[in-house]
Amino acid sequence: MDVAASGPSDRLKAPDAGDTALSVSNLSKKYCGNLKKALFYGLQDIAGEFRGRRAGPHRLRPGEFWALEDLSFEVKRGEALAVIGRNGAGKSTLLRVLCGLLKPDAGQVRIAGRTEAIIELGTGFNPLLTGRENIEVGASLHGLDPDATARLLEVVIDFAELAEFIDAPLMSYSSGMKARLAYSLAAHLGPDLLLVDEALAVGDLAFQHKCIRHMRQFVSGGGSLLLVSHNFQQVQTVCDRAILIERGHVAYEGDVAHTVSRMLEQRPLADANQLNDFASDGPVRMGGLSVRSGDGDGVRTGRPVEMPSRYEADLPTEVIWAFSIWSEDRWTCIGGAVDPVPRRIDAGRGTLRCIVPQFPLLAGRYIVRATILDASTRYPLAIENSRSRECHIDVRTDPDPVANMLIWTNQLVRLDAEWDAPQQAGTIGK
Amino acid sequence: MVYTASPELRRPRQFMVKAINDLRASGRIAWRLFRSNLRVRHRRTFLGYFWLLLPAIGTALICSYIQSRRIITIPATELPYPLFVLSGMILWQCFIDAINAPLQHLVAARQLITRSRVPHEAIILAGVMEVLVNAAVRVAILMLVVAFWVPLATTIVLIPLGVVALVLLGVAIGLALAPLGMLYDDVGRVITLVATFWFFLTPVVYPLPAQGLLHLNPVSPLLVASRAWLLGRWDMSAGFFIVLVGALVGLVIAWLWYRLARPHIVSRLG
Repeated sequence: MDVAASGPSDRLKAPDAGDTALSVSNLSKKYCGNLKKALFYGLQDIAGEFRGRRAGPHRLRPGEFWALEDLSFEVKRGEALAVIGRNGAGKSTLLRVLCGLLKPDAGQVRIAGRTEAIIELGTGFNPLLTGRENIEVGASLHGLDPDATARLLEVVIDFAELAEFIDAPLMSYSSGMKARLAYSLAAHLGPDLLLVDEALAVGDLAFQHKCIRHMRQFVSGGGSLLLVSHNFQQVQTVCDRAILIERGHVAYEGDVAHTVSRMLEQRPLADANQLNDFASDGPVRMGGLSVRSGDGDGVRTGRPVEMPSRYEADLPTEVIWAFSIWSEDRWTCIGGAVDPVPRRIDAGRGTLRCIVPQFPLLAGRYIVRATILDASTRYPLAIENSRSRECHIDVRTDPDPVANMLIWTNQLVRLDAEWDAPQQAGTIGK
Repeated sequence: MVYTASPELRRPRQFMVKAINDLRASGRIAWRLFRSNLRVRHRRTFLGYFWLLLPAIGTALICSYIQSRRIITIPATELPYPLFVLSGMILWQCFIDAINAPLQHLVAARQLITRSRVPHEAIILAGVMEVLVNAAVRVAILMLVVAFWVPLATTIVLIPLGVVALVLLGVAIGLALAPLGMLYDDVGRVITLVATFWFFLTPVVYPLPAQGLLHLNPVSPLLVASRAWLLGRWDMSAGFFIVLVGALVGLVIAWLWYRLARPHIVSRLG
């Protein structure tokens, strides 16, 4: 076992120790949803620990579920890995196993060097102690001598920008101040592997930037970082690689843009619905709208999309046809198009068709409604909007950081723009 | 650093090295925690340190009344009876404080131990330090009071040994129960209940009879010896040493047992 592991300075000197900073193999951790049972299983596990063997670590007891199941991944030295996933996916459990708070139920975690973790912000601090004392406790936890502690104090206080409050008890700190202290302390204790859990969510923007700069420096200096965050901007700025955790499994592993985009796609792709029944009982009825990609590869942002809509008419009629696209909650009409030219349809069946050359919607699920209007009165002859007949489409966006940013900021439409280089217009006089 | 699912006792050497490393790191942390605990302890109380003596004084007054009315006949004691009860109560309280300390402090530090890697030994140690300080305050006041009746003899220097033995025994018991107590609240209640029964089976408000069940009570030799030292009488039975060594061994076992249970407790505390 490697308790007094190397500091960051040794890290650069010891490349032969292998370049893997963290290796997780087949890691599983189970939890029990029922408190009474959980406590009882706790007793069982303690007894098993005492006997030196544990009964069926791979088996779930009644009421248990896998919070993490068969997770495997690696973080190399000088690499930043993002862990993303929805709430309850198992990210925090993973982090707590990685820093040794929880014992795995199966599998192994191997860490080369010293780990520091920022878990649920500042909860590792003692609220009754002052900021300074908390730093000192942190230092004594790492066996720092008084000189080193004094140096650490200075650096941490300076980085956290808390000089004024450092002698106040931690309970008087705002959550942002605790975040600053927590990050600053963990980052300056000289870890080889830094585990960061949502730490920056509450800090102010300036400090978030400072941390991001620090993390990038830390990684480029040979440190390894594991960042758990819901802020995809941050994740994409700091990390190159990411894993997506869904229900305790690694659902996707790859470069950060692909992984984030994978997470943002809410549901698996399904091609457009096909509706065969003719709706409405007017002189013109709609027989189903479908939305198809030009290349048969599903509806994708920026690619051509074809929308054929079948109709049935009792009389020859001059019509205008239109479609509109709605948010999935049916509250917002995002946009649509109207055929500018009235079209003559004859009695019988046929198909109206239009093509959107560059489909502007970003990844998500939408509802498409089609309408046939009387060309002279603009009165709707047929509307396809009953819920059972709506056409749902799942749009995918090819992953790139810009698209991810648009999606993350809840934008629905990607506009094309041409961007000019900055034009210098003089200097600011002093 | 490797974390696996296999029970830690499979690699006893590694387990012991880790345990000792944590214990070493704990001293300084415990000292800091202890100082801050001390600082905030009496902030929200009106009576402050008076609470340390209140149970002993109350019991002494009530017992003296019962004894003076002959409701219960108690054999003659060397010290005036109220002082006898006071001294017994003060020593008994050191023991009870020590039993309660591990669980109380670990439960209070729940946030800390589920979110950070602070060694739990530091929290327990800080609790024990507090128990010892309380004991010192109580015993010092007791000596002052006793000095009015009996001239203090040199044997009083042994009293700290008696107190430490009581505290060690208490902490060993408290720490052994702590893993279960952190999972089930029932354990805390059982401790309180059993402590009451135990009190009646301990020569606190009455002198130790010549023989009987009470001689099996591990607290008896510690309490009797300490009270004798207070009066300047040299009284150190073999029982005292047996209990002292037993408490030390028990404490080490309880500590290792706690360490084995620790990750499973942390995962159930949320």
